[in-house]
Amino acid sequence: MTNPMKIGSLGMRPFQVMDPKDAHAIHTNSLHLLESMGIKVVSDEGRRLLKEAGAEVDEKTKVCKIPGYLVEESMRKCPHTIRMGARNPKYDFVLDQRHCYACTDGVGVATIDLETGARRGSTLKDVADSAKIVDYLPMLHMYNPLVTPLEVPKHAHTVHEFMASLENCEKHFTTGSTYQREEAIYEIKMAEAVAGGPKELRRRPIISSLSCTTSPMVLGMTTDAAIEFSRAGCPPLLMAMPLVGATAPMTVAGATLLGNAQVIALATVLQLAAPGSPLCYSTEPMAMDVQSGLFEGLYPAADMVRAAHVQMAKHYGIPIFVGGWGTCSKVPDVQAGYEKAFSAFLCYLSGADMTSGPGMLENWTVLSFEQLIIDHEMFTMMADILKGFPVDNDSMPLDVIMKVGHEGHYMGEKHTLDHFRQMWQPMVTDGQTYATWKAAGSKNAVDHARDRAKEILKTHVPGPLAEDLKKDLREIVAEGEKNIPH
Amino acid sequence: MADKQTILNELENAVKGLQQEAVLEAARKAVANGVSPVEAIEDGLAKGIREVGEKFARKEMFVVELIYAATIMEEAIKVLEPELEKSKEKRHAVGTVVLGTVAGDIHDIGKNLVRIMLEAGGFEVHDVGKNVATETFVEKSREVGASIVGASSLMTTTVSVQKEVVDALRRAGIVAPMMIGGAAVSEEWAKEIGAHYSSDAGSAVELAKHLLDKGA
Repeated sequence: MTNPMKIGSLGMRPFQVMDPKDAHAIHTNSLHLLESMGIKVVSDEGRRLLKEAGAEVDEKTKVCKIPGYLVEESMRKCPHTIRMGARNPKYDFVLDQRHCYACTDGVGVATIDLETGARRGSTLKDVADSAKIVDYLPMLHMYNPLVTPLEVPKHAHTVHEFMASLENCEKHFTTGSTYQREEAIYEIKMAEAVAGGPKELRRRPIISSLSCTTSPMVLGMTTDAAIEFSRAGCPPLLMAMPLVGATAPMTVAGATLLGNAQVIALATVLQLAAPGSPLCYSTEPMAMDVQSGLFEGLYPAADMVRAAHVQMAKHYGIPIFVGGWGTCSKVPDVQAGYEKAFSAFLCYLSGADMTSGPGMLENWTVLSFEQLIIDHEMFTMMADILKGFPVDNDSMPLDVIMKVGHEGHYMGEKHTLDHFRQMWQPMVTDGQTYATWKAAGSKNAVDHARDRAKEILKTHVPGPLAEDLKKDLREIVAEGEKNIPH
Repeated sequence: MADKQTILNELENAVKGLQQEAVLEAARKAVANGVSPVEAIEDGLAKGIREVGEKFARKEMFVVELIYAATIMEEAIKVLEPELEKSKEKRHAVGTVVLGTVAGDIHDIGKNLVRIMLEAGGFEVHDVGKNVATETFVEKSREVGASIVGASSLMTTTVSVQKEVVDALRRAGIVAPMMIGGAAVSEEWAKEIGAHYSSDAGSAVELAKHLLDKGA
């Protein structure tokens, strides 16, 4: 494998789920919605910023009608590339719309216990253990707490999650559930302590934040937290979660339109708060099961909305973080495998910079350590395809083909020796003969993944935090616990 | 004059290090300095390939590396061959194996892997090739006094030929144990025809050693 922090494509063209003129129609209709019906902005500061910039704001209904030119001007201010810092700079990477990365997703409330196999409430140790595994897995690039610890004070769970991550994972951290401004303030304080001050944090933001919009057509309190992150130079990931058929129209284009309008409205607010600050487009649509009314993250309609939103992000020239890899399966099984593979690969083929969701079951609510290892395996396979292949004199070895001739094989050729290390290699996928497989206990991929997860937790030692830094961070967590509103 | 041990080390290390030029150079040096060709093979090249084989079995080296090591070792043996013919010395082997892919089947990569691993394990292997007539297995086994006969078949349409080979050997009075392998072969099939099964090249060597121990 080439440098795992830089997975790129050698000449592969992204798949486009829509005709470019349809992407343009989504954009113009989004502007039309924002201008004529407006979007409800719950955040006081959000409304103030929009009003000052020329939006028509109704303080009673909190609906802001945003002129199209203001939205377009704001979208032009968004940077095209974003540096994602990490606790250890060797894990820094750049979202440049040409390389792809993978992240975990949150925030679940239950864990399938690695030892007993029982489904139970999630704990701080689950956060620490999953962070440690992400630290170890070479092709996972950033960590979002997969579950929330049920035993810490609820109002301050985000700072506890960040602390557990910092102690166990040297990679970029993203918070999936920061809803209040005060939570953001304490997380940024912690990030500044690790990065070495506000200026350093701005240069190499080690934290980002998933900032959810609310469907249909609301920017909620998360907007305040997003504004704090934008001002600190830490990229918010502006997420739309349209539920096709419930909080969004029943059609793919309708849900794409609604989600897009919400994302560009929030981008407008943030560019007014901090012009030129980094941000990502983000989406995590779900679709209704029309028979039962329940929701499933990975029905084809939801996946098409994902691909359409990737295309919209490209339309605006900004990186996109897609919540994918979902499944409604209750265990790491065949359904989990095919839903996750379809979803993630479609996103990447469309050109997504980043997807999240490895390790989650039941629509991103339950952590399975086995699934985390298996999803990483799937991503390594996808990445191997996505990086493409060179077509040149060395990769088309006329001389070697003529030397080997009409029979025989290439297994002993120097050319083979020189190239075989580029070949994908499995971590848990079984490729043994029946007899060897049977003799080794008839283990399937889930069994291998369980063994591997246990082994990683037993042997992997993440780079430690300096003792004085750890002390400072604990003080900030304690302060946060006191001051973040209940 | 270069020191003999230095040359033997060079032969061994060049095979282990997968260095084609270095192994040929060391073989030429062995000839120029009058090192016994049997020693050059057994205490030089073979030591190298044995280590590669062991590392392959432990999954520390890759199949491509194993085959490449065997390929450059064969090239080095070609350099030593004229000396080997002149000298009266014979190579010592733990056993003599006749090996081939049965008639009707041209798949020989697995069979070649088994050959390399057996050679690395100290066996003298007579590889009769692929799509080999049953009589050839019998004739070669008689000629070299085979202690084991190995027959490979990848295709379901040719596994029955493995039975023909066993039957022909027994009719000819050759009692050497028969080993079979290949994608279409199973443990059950081996038992049915009175042969021994191994599923991959690493376990083939263990099986061969086990069969010899049992025979002795």
